[in-house]
This record gives sequence, C-alpha cells and structure tokens, in this order.
Amino acid sequence: MSEPRISEPHVLDQPWRVWATVTVLAIVIIGVILGVVVIPVVQGRSAGIDAYTAICRALGILPGSPAEPQPFDRTPSTPVSQVTWTPEVLQILARADPERGRAKVAEVCVACHGEQGVAVVPEVPNLAGQSGAAIYKQLHDYRTDSRTHPQMSVIAKALEDAQIADVAAYYAGQPKRNPDPATLAESPAAIVRLVELGDPARNIPPCAACHRPGAGGPIEAPILSEQDRDYLIAQLKMYASGERRNDVYGRMRTIAARLTPAEIAGLARYYRAGFK
Amino acid sequence: MTELHPEMHERRILGTELLWAFGVGVLVAATLSMIVFTALTMNINPPSNVERIDPKALHLSGEFAEHNLGTTVAADGSVTTRVVATQFMFVPRCIAVPQGRRVTLRFSTPDVIHGLLITGTNVNTMVVPGYVAQVHTEFTRSGDLLMPCHEYCGIGHSEMWATVQVLPEGEFKPDSEGKVSCAQR
Amino acid sequence: MRNVERLCLAHFWVAFGAFLAAAVLGTWQMWVRSPLGADVGTPGQYFMSVTAHGVAMGYVLTTFFIMGFGYFVAVTALARPLPGKAWAWFAFWMSIVGVIMTTVPIATGSASVLFTFYPPLTGSPWFYIGLVLVVVGSWIWCVLMIVAMAAWKRENAGRPVPLAMFGTVANAIMWLWTTVGVAAELLFQVIPAALGLTQTIDVGLARTLFSWTLHAIVYFWLLPAYIAFYTMAPRAAGGRLYSDTMGRLTFILFLIYSLPVGMHHLLMDPEHGNGTKFIQVLLTAFVSAPTLLTIFTITASLEIAGRLRGGRGLFGWIAALPWDRPMVLAVGLSFVMLGFGGFGGLINMGYGMNAMIHNTSWVTAHFHLIFGGSVVIMYFAIAYEIWPRLTGRGYTSLAPLRAQLWLWFIGMMVMTLPWHWLGLQGQWRRVANFNYADPIIAGWGPWVIVSFVAGLVLLASALLFVRNLLVLHLSPQAAIARPLYALAVHPPQRVPAALNGFALWNVLVLIVMALAYGYPIAQFAIAPSPSAIVHRIE
Repeated sequence: MSEPRISEPHVLDQPWRVWATVTVLAIVIIGVILGVVVIPVVQGRSAGIDAYTAICRALGILPGSPAEPQPFDRTPSTPVSQVTWTPEVLQILARADPERGRAKVAEVCVACHGEQGVAVVPEVPNLAGQSGAAIYKQLHDYRTDSRTHPQMSVIAKALEDAQIADVAAYYAGQPKRNPDPATLAESPAAIVRLVELGDPARNIPPCAACHRPGAGGPIEAPILSEQDRDYLIAQLKMYASGERRNDVYGRMRTIAARLTPAEIAGLARYYRAGFK
Repeated sequence: MTELHPEMHERRILGTELLWAFGVGVLVAATLSMIVFTALTMNINPPSNVERIDPKALHLSGEFAEHNLGTTVAADGSVTTRVVATQFMFVPRCIAVPQGRRVTLRFSTPDVIHGLLITGTNVNTMVVPGYVAQVHTEFTRSGDLLMPCHEYCGIGHSEMWATVQVLPEGEFKPDSEGKVSCAQR
Repeated sequence: MRNVERLCLAHFWVAFGAFLAAAVLGTWQMWVRSPLGADVGTPGQYFMSVTAHGVAMGYVLTTFFIMGFGYFVAVTALARPLPGKAWAWFAFWMSIVGVIMTTVPIATGSASVLFTFYPPLTGSPWFYIGLVLVVVGSWIWCVLMIVAMAAWKRENAGRPVPLAMFGTVANAIMWLWTTVGVAAELLFQVIPAALGLTQTIDVGLARTLFSWTLHAIVYFWLLPAYIAFYTMAPRAAGGRLYSDTMGRLTFILFLIYSLPVGMHHLLMDPEHGNGTKFIQVLLTAFVSAPTLLTIFTITASLEIAGRLRGGRGLFGWIAALPWDRPMVLAVGLSFVMLGFGGFGGLINMGYGMNAMIHNTSWVTAHFHLIFGGSVVIMYFAIAYEIWPRLTGRGYTSLAPLRAQLWLWFIGMMVMTLPWHWLGLQGQWRRVANFNYADPIIAGWGPWVIVSFVAGLVLLASALLFVRNLLVLHLSPQAAIARPLYALAVHPPQRVPAALNGFALWNVLVLIVMALAYGYPIAQFAIAPSPSAIVHRIE
C-alpha cells in the first residue's frame, strides 16, 4: 500500500461539522417546540387553559398540568404542634448552653426529673441522655397547649425559647446510667421483632427506625432507652386514645392504637432494661 | 488478493448500513410519534407540578395540616385527595376515592424523599420535600387497592403503605364539610 | 505489553474482588426479602447490604475494570508504552484509599443511604469523600487516555486512531462530562451537609444534579462491552468487522446522547415541568440508535465469520460460528439479554408506560438484565480474552469458561424475568421484608423464591469466574500469541477529523447539555425550592 496521505481537513471535515451540528441542533429544537409549545397548547385547549399558562406550566414556571385545571380548596386548620425545624430553631439548639441549663434545671426541674435526669417521682420521664430536639419540642408544645399537663403546662409557659434549648442541652448531655438488668433476660422474641422489624401487616415500622439514635428518622423522635416503664405505658395509652395529640401527623397515635396491651407492656419493659 | 465478494464492496457495506440506519430512524420516529400522539389526544403527561411548599412548616400549612387530609369534594364537585408521606406512614392511611370520576391527588412530605404507586392504576409519583406532587386520574374499577411507599425513605420504609378504597358512586358520600372517609369494614 | 501488566491486573483484581463480595451480599438480600428468609436480618442490615452491593457493583467493579481495560487498550491498540504510568499508579492507590474510606462507614451502618444517595438522608462524610476520591482517580485515568491518544496522533499524523482506543477515549471524555453532576451534588450539597456545615439541603437540585450522572454512567459502564463487540468479537469469531466507520459513529452517538437524557430518571418527580421532561425523552429515543446500529454491524461481522467457516443458507452461518470460544459465546448470550433489556428500556422511556413500572421490581429487573447481564458478561469475556496476555499463561481447557458464562446467562434470565412480571403487578422496591400474609403479596412469594434460586446460580457463576482467573495464573501452559483486535473489511486509510477526534463533539455536547439541562438546573437558582432538614444516619 502507498504511504498514507495526510488528510486534508477542509475537504473531509467541513461537511461533518456542518451536518452534525445541524442534525443534533434540529433534534433538540424539535424537542423544545413539541414539548414546550405544541403539546401544552393543544392540551390546554381541551381543558380551557390559555396558551401562555399552559406553556408556563409545561416549563414549571407555574404549578399544575397544562391539561387539567388546578384545584384551589384551602382550609385553615389548627396544627397539632407549632414546632418547625427551621435553620433558626436548629441554630437556637446549637447555641444552647448546658451550664445555663443546669442553673435553670436546679431552679425548676430537679424536684421531679432529678439533677442527672433520673426521675425522682413515679410516672415522670427520665431525661438523662434524651435527644435535645425531643425535649425542646415537648416543652414548646406544653407552652402552646399542643400538649397539656397540670404542672408542665405552667412551667413551660414561664420559659423562653433559649431557656428551653439550654435545659434540653443540659439533660441531653447527662449520661444514661440506670438500666434494669433484671429484665434483660426476659425480652420475648415478639417484642424484639416489633422493635427491629416492625409489623408490615399493621403498618407498624420498627420502633428502632425512629427511636434509635442515628437511625435517620424524624428529628423530634425521643430516645426510648432507659425510659421509665410506667411513663411509657401511660404515654402509649394516651396516644392510643387520642388524649395526647402532639405527634405530628398522628404517627404515634396510629401506631399505639394498633398495639395490644401486652405489646405495650412488653415494649415498656424492653426499653426500661436499657436496650436501644 | 482474491476478488472481493460483491456484498463486501465498500459502497455496498455503506448502503446496507444506511438502509439499517434508516430503519432505526423509523423506529425512533415511531416511538416518539406514539408519545406525542398520546400526549395530544389523551393528555398523557408525566406527573409534573412545580409547586413549592416549605416541608419544615408543612403541618402548619392550611392545606396539609392534619385535619385537612383525606378526600374532599369541593363546592364545584371536583374531588381532591390530600395525603402526607412521612417517615414511616401515609397520613391518612386509608383514603376513599370515587369510581368513574376525575380525582386530583396531592401529596407532600415534611421530611425525606418518598414515592408511591397505586396498584392497578396509572398513579405513580415521587414525593420530594419542598414540592407538592400532583396526579390526575380516574379510578375505573371499584375495590381496595394497595398504595405502598416505593422509594427508600429510611429504615422503616418496608412497613409504609396505605389503602385506597375505590367506592362506587352510591357509596361515595361526602359529609357536611365535604370530606369522605374510608368505609369501616 | 510488559509495561502495564501489573497495573491492569491490580485494577482487575480489585474490581473482581468487589464483584464477588457484592454477589454474596446480593444473594443474601434476595434470601431475606423472600418468604424463606422472613425472620432473618433487620432492616438496618438489609439496607446496609443494599448500599454495599450498589456501591461495589456500580462504582468499584465498573470504575476499576474500565480503568484497567483502558490501560490495556492504550498499550496494545496503540502499540506504544503508556504515558504517565506513575500517575496511573497514583490514581489507583488514591482510588483504593477512597474505597476503604467508603466501605468502613457502610460496614458500621453509618452510610445506609444506598448508592443513589437519597438526600436529605445523610450518612457519614467519609462515605461520600471516599467516593469522590474514586472519581478523582478515574479523572486521572481519563486524562491519561486522552494524552495517550494525542501522543499517538502526533506520531501518526493523518492516520485513523485504532478503533479500540477511539472508543476508550470516547468513554473517557463521556465520563468527564458525566461526573460533573454527581461531583457538584456531593461537593456543594451533600458533603457540607454530612460535615454539619449546613443543616438543610435543596432536594430538588440534588436529584437533578444526580440525574445528570445517573444515565450517562450506565453508558460509561456499557462502552467497554461495545469496544469488545467491535474490536474483539469479529477477530475471535474468525471474521472481520463489517464497518469501522459505524463503530466510530456508535461511540460518538453515545457521547452525544447519553448525557442530556438523565431526566428520564425523574419522569415521576414533581420538580420539573412536562416540557423539560419531554425534551429529554425525545433525546432518549435517540440513544437507542447506537445500540440498534451496533446489533446490525456486529451481526453482519459475525455473519462474515460464519460464512468464512462454511456456513450456507440464510441462517446456516450461525451454527458455523465457533461457539466454543468464550468471546463468541459471550457475545451471543449478551445480545439475547440486550434484546430483552433494551426492550424494557424503551418501555421505561415512554412516560405513560413508565408510570406503570416506576420504582417497581421492573426497574430492578431492567438494570440487572442489561447491566448485570449483557454488560457484565462481556466484562467476563474481555477478562478471559486478555488474561493470557496479562499473565503469560494459557488455558488448559475452555470448558469451565463456557460453563461459567452459561451459568451467568441462565441465572440472570431466570432471576430477572420474574422480577419484570412482579413489577408489572406493582411489587415495589427496596423492601427488607414483605407482608406475605397479604393475599396480593402472597401471590408474589413463589416468584420471589424463583428469583432467589437463580441468584444462587449467579453466585456459583461468580465464584467460578474468579476461580477460572486464579487457575490461569497457575496454569502450566504458556500463552499462545494470537492477534487480538479485528480488522475491518475495509480498513480506513483516512478518516475525517470528526471521526478521529472529539473537538467537534465536545462543542455539541456542551450546546446540547445547555439546552437540555440549562433551565432545569437554573430554575433552582431563579426560584429556590424550600430546603429540607438533613436527616443524619450515624
């Protein structure tokens, strides 16, 4: 074969440059015309939507479909909890001072919740090592009457946001220390199954999916490990009856209503024993 | 060098490739034409509704507050169902919809990405925090349908599903506020 | 060839080691979610396994295999030593560090976010940083591939770049474009959130950036298989490549049309309008073209081989092909799976039909069949073909190789076809345990078991694959020198610059991406979506 000739760029390449560009751009432009103009305008006609609105909807500048009218119905309602996890609230929690919290706790909380967060009065929750966001939410809900309790409602209404955050940070920093080893050997398989696997037939997710720290569940889910047994049973019963309703979107109300009394008692024992 | 078979001449090879490419082009055009045709005549669209809503305050909003969820019939007769997808439950976990009428389903979430489908129907959408997902459909057959969460939303994803009761016209009765709840069975 | 043996083998063994581990995990997952394993494992363990399986198969097996194969092609197709070999080793070790950095948080349960990340679910920052290191290592590979081709072109002015290298560099350039999306998502959104620098994340933007990568990455995985189709299969069959030009065009078409189509993974998402989705659906239809063209060209090439071996009549050449050769067998099996998987892809593309199967088992079936099936079986075939050159040893028998390929094909078909069917019935994805007491779900149980049994077959095939390669290292027989790359029927003497380089195509990719993704991404700056709180998994 003869020596390969150097290619002559203009002769070989010009048609490629031109035709490739024309073809590819034509394809895209056809797509734009069809998708953003033709289809929405035609669809809008059958639904009585003008062309401009239809095109804006197709681009996503306006909400709704180019082919259907948009529903309007808006009803004002009373939300079950006023707490929203905005960056501002998270900043308040991040800036909380446990030392100021300790002072407030000594003033207001120790009588029932103890200095280290271990309850000194029966049916009062332990707060040691509890999630700061969970404590913050409950105090806030007491303040707005989303959750009611003869003493806690009064106490919470005297606290400001920053003080609530301080108290929450203080108790969150208290180490857990009080498992009840006597119950460790007694967790029946059915309870462990509820905690780890849930029950898909009853729409019950595993308790651990929300209540184990680091599970990636709701921010306000409290940590249940080492919680007081009678307090847990009382709360689950109040959720089941609807008496307590500050769980956003009724998740605990729905779940508690589907637990049997034996399961409620078993779960309370499980968590009291210090399992996570 | 032996004489090359006529089928193997350069022009012939190019010819067959171009012929095949033309066939491929026809296939591509046919597929796209079908999509355009159904879009123009049957209003087939992907569920798109670029409507922004703050997930952090979803439970405070008028529309997606707890009391307002479920199916509501408006004064003009339009049926709208509002459902919230959360970790790890649809709220409400049972919704009632009418058979044979146009329904608008609106979904939102206060937390993470969810998704849902309703078995046996064309309802399928992602629920992305920050947006209201909206699907328009008509349920053609009565009965109970399954609506699972089909996108990974955390450890409790497998237990997240809801029921859709498609009620025949006679059983689909709104109460005084226009709301329709699931029949107790 | 001496130049890169150790480099290639290092990459391949990391890839195949990850592959084997992921195969074990995948089989475990199928057991757990079947009726047989209803009480086994917690959801935490299941999603940890899904994350590990996805990262290993989708990021480690693929990236390391492609890098190793690329170095091999750069040396053998261009017949010159690899430029910047020290950089190649640096990239390898950096990627290894990245893999370890990613694996540890997965194993401790701090990164159960799956290989598709799903913000605002956020895992340990080391998980993401490790993956960034793997990607940066692959970027170094991309640069080395481009440099190798440019150096060859300087020394061989005016001559067409060998097709295998042209395809490899097309893949490298496509990868550079592809990774922009996930890199932006990780560097600007997810890693700051994981480090605690931000408390919220714009989920719509994160999903859109990830979709930029999500479709093109599967073509990054697929192109080496096509390189084997065009440059190795015809030679292995004893024939010629029907058209070299069509090979070049295929790689170029993939480069242009793999990228501006990612939004078809977001067809069911609320954050984009119908119109912008339609544009990318239209472009998706065009990405089917290079595959269809390839099927014709390779079939024609095999027909040449068959007729040269004495095949007569309309179909007689098929039987005449040397099916005892692993590369030929793999191409045949791959084409069958490509037919089924590709058909599924056309369904996924039409959003009306997509609404029936989005996030059901159909999707899982589709990508296991098309990637795990058609593409990975070609990875096996490539490994079998080049291992003698890398080790200097020869196979004493090809029977175990063929057996392994058949097991993979049978396992993959039997595993994925029921999944397609279950997806149509509404079986949804990423479930650790189903409620088999529900009458609808109970009906799915037997098919889930069938898929699980097929998964065991796949596991056996995976073990046999690794065994076959290990055994070759110890083989008493020396490798027989054989030509590797196919000649075209009409080897090109001169090709236009457009078919010999990528300057024009890079410009077109930029324009098309701006048109397809420009507004969809810009809208997040124009009208930011309300951001979601980060949910930390620790």
